[in-house]
Amino acid sequence: MCGIVGFLDKSGNRQAAVGQTLLDMLSALDRRGPDSSGVAVYADRGADACVLRVKLGEHGPFETLADLVVERVKSLVSVSAVDVQGPSLRLVATPPENPESLERAIEAVGSSIEVVSLGSRLELVKQVGSPANLEATYAVSSYVGTHGIGHTRMSTESRVDLSHSQPFWAHGRADVAVVHNGHITNYHKMRRIYEQQGHRFYTGNDSEIIGLYLADRMAQGVSFADALQTSLADFDGAFSYLAATADSLGYVKDPFAFKPLVVTDTPAYVAIATEEQALRSALGDDFPVWEPGVNTVMTWTIENGAGS
Amino acid sequence: MKDIDCTDKTSRVINQEIRHYIQAGETEIHVHHPQARHNLGVAVLQPVSLTMTGSVGYYCGGLIDGPRIEVQGSCGWGLAESMLSGTVIVNQNAGNSAAASIRGGTIVVRGSASSRAGIAMKGGTLIVQGNSGYMTGFMMQKGTIIVCGDTAEALGDSMYEGRIFVGGRISDLGNDAVVEEVTDRDRAFLTTILAEYDIEAPASFQKIVSGRRLWQFDKKDFDTWREAL
Repeated sequence: MCGIVGFLDKSGNRQAAVGQTLLDMLSALDRRGPDSSGVAVYADRGADACVLRVKLGEHGPFETLADLVVERVKSLVSVSAVDVQGPSLRLVATPPENPESLERAIEAVGSSIEVVSLGSRLELVKQVGSPANLEATYAVSSYVGTHGIGHTRMSTESRVDLSHSQPFWAHGRADVAVVHNGHITNYHKMRRIYEQQGHRFYTGNDSEIIGLYLADRMAQGVSFADALQTSLADFDGAFSYLAATADSLGYVKDPFAFKPLVVTDTPAYVAIATEEQALRSALGDDFPVWEPGVNTVMTWTIENGAGS
Repeated sequence: MKDIDCTDKTSRVINQEIRHYIQAGETEIHVHHPQARHNLGVAVLQPVSLTMTGSVGYYCGGLIDGPRIEVQGSCGWGLAESMLSGTVIVNQNAGNSAAASIRGGTIVVRGSASSRAGIAMKGGTLIVQGNSGYMTGFMMQKGTIIVCGDTAEALGDSMYEGRIFVGGRISDLGNDAVVEEVTDRDRAFLTTILAEYDIEAPASFQKIVSGRRLWQFDKKDFDTWREAL
């Protein structure tokens, strides 16, 4: 049992209060998952900028490690801003030619180091604890942008730490992130196949494989919407998940309809959540909601707001 | 008439207030700003009228015996689960498993119902004015489901008894669900009950009942059993 939420502004406002909306929705669902929480918010971050979020470790002190990582990144791309928030090091840099090789170079600095997110529009923060704690550490309510996704987790099969928290960035693919409620029951089988192909796994959380799958499909030239669609046949289990790219938001509802999800699609925005309470407490009473049917996928983009 | 404002109250406190007013002899209660909270109006055993002026969450009207509940918004999972008698009306859409295991009474969903509507019904009537989702009537044992719109995959899967009427398109039938001819008596029943709730009846209905092949195990049906379980 977890809570997942998503929001996309359709009005063309590039500075919608996405962080506040996601936080309000997550707070209404936090009893579904007290273990950890996180959000991914998409916004314009300046031309030719790339935001990197690096986890330095589970326990401090982090100053020395932060310095080493910054030094390494500066040797590869030019860095315009550095900020350390708890275990999370945030860097704004010029976009790397190859995100994957930059990621490898950073992670070679120390065994506790993990690139949590990378993207030109993506800002991803997560940690152990409630949405209220997330707000206390990262001031999520101040994040503005076009769209975003959020997660509050109740762990069932893997450990509780920052790495195992969600959203998951799709390692190696800039700006793609995922939040998931449910179980991918053919996870171990698919993981073995990916590992044989040389993909690295950072956690024992089955949700991690969704981002990897989407990144892999999109690297093969498959569109975001089509990658979501094929995941319905390629994953087994009871799952509802939301995924986002630099300009899109989409949901996937499993073939058994075991995991709840409600959607509202208004002229001003689209909002999706595990329970209707999240939509009502964040956005009010004046819109209808519906539950997606089994085996369905829908995506929206910020350019025209149209769903398909 | 009494009003209850849900703002800053837990479901438990709201339900205690409902009970308190009923004990005091009140027969009409309006519940405002429910904001999709779970378990509202559960286990009400008196013939009172409860109106939820917004949307409700899971298990609204569960275990009731006698009241009339109207939800002006939508509802979450397990609407009126295991109700014995009474009427529940939802003006917008219903979540998964509406009317789960009800033994009597009538439930009307004026919008569409999601997956497994009428699962394990043991009596009573579920009317869906719009469409109905995956596995509607799954393992139902008695009672009637009326869907005026279309139904999704696996309609009436593994149903033991009871009947399902569909006014729109049937996507496909579940295991051991079969189509039976609609009788004049069925038509009279449908006309009367839909008129009672001001629902315009579709031009015609199809009737689905149990094929009863799964009542006893027959190894010739092994593939069906494997699918059904």
